[in-house]
Amino acid sequence: MWLFLSSEFLFFGALITNYLVYGNDPFPSVVPREIYDIPFTSVSSFVLLMSSLTMVLAHHSLSTKDQNGTRTWLLATAMLGSIFLGGQVFEFYEFITAHGMTMTTNAAASSFFMLTGFHGAHVAIGVTMLLSLFGMAKRQGGLSEEHGLNLELVGLYWHFVDIIWIVIFTLVYLLGAV
Amino acid sequence: MAEVHAITARNYVKIAVLLAVVTGVEVALFYLNESLDLNGWDAPLLIILSMLKFVVVIGWFMHLRYEKRLLSRFFAGGFILALSLYGIVVGSFLVGIVTR
Repeated sequence: MWLFLSSEFLFFGALITNYLVYGNDPFPSVVPREIYDIPFTSVSSFVLLMSSLTMVLAHHSLSTKDQNGTRTWLLATAMLGSIFLGGQVFEFYEFITAHGMTMTTNAAASSFFMLTGFHGAHVAIGVTMLLSLFGMAKRQGGLSEEHGLNLELVGLYWHFVDIIWIVIFTLVYLLGAV
Repeated sequence: MAEVHAITARNYVKIAVLLAVVTGVEVALFYLNESLDLNGWDAPLLIILSMLKFVVVIGWFMHLRYEKRLLSRFFAGGFILALSLYGIVVGSFLVGIVTR
């Protein structure tokens, strides 16, 4: 899992580099950094950060054999992830409808949608895995030690998605392209 | 799996509060940049705060500080390669090997 996550650094490294190089491209009109809604994205970032807390609490609950706690925190993590995704869909919708910024507007817009879109896809995969774990925990009356490893792996993946967002939030939203 | 039972739920909450506060400081820096007259120090400060959150999540939430060193090296390796990629691309633009 650690090797996989390590390779994911390169994947997102390429996308972030692409944005940092082309993010200020003014052609023909829209520059992504000029239309960011920082308060909205800050709340989204806070939601994703808190989902890392609920994820680690799910892991902690399983380690103390608290099955109810595990299920509750898993569901809370999936819900927070879904809220983050909803925010991203809303942001994309606003960019497209209110500002006319689409994938093909310019290199800056294209690199922005590629980066944040792929991150969103990772969050969506994470939410699916969390809900699957929650379903397994409900159906089997709780996660066993064997499935504890599953929870550990899903947790690592989820935290990784969070740290990638930490980087994106600072470099893309707060600093813009440099 | 590393033995991490020593960390209590309360400590995890404390770490999350720290992460939330750092995020708040980042957003405040973004808005107060001009009035604080940081003279270009806003970018390094934001990157340092971001790296702090990055390290805290990896170290405590992902438990990497309790894992074997080999795993840390694997993980750091990917990160360093990603940074190198950025350096190579930006360097290519700077020396004119690649143009927009």
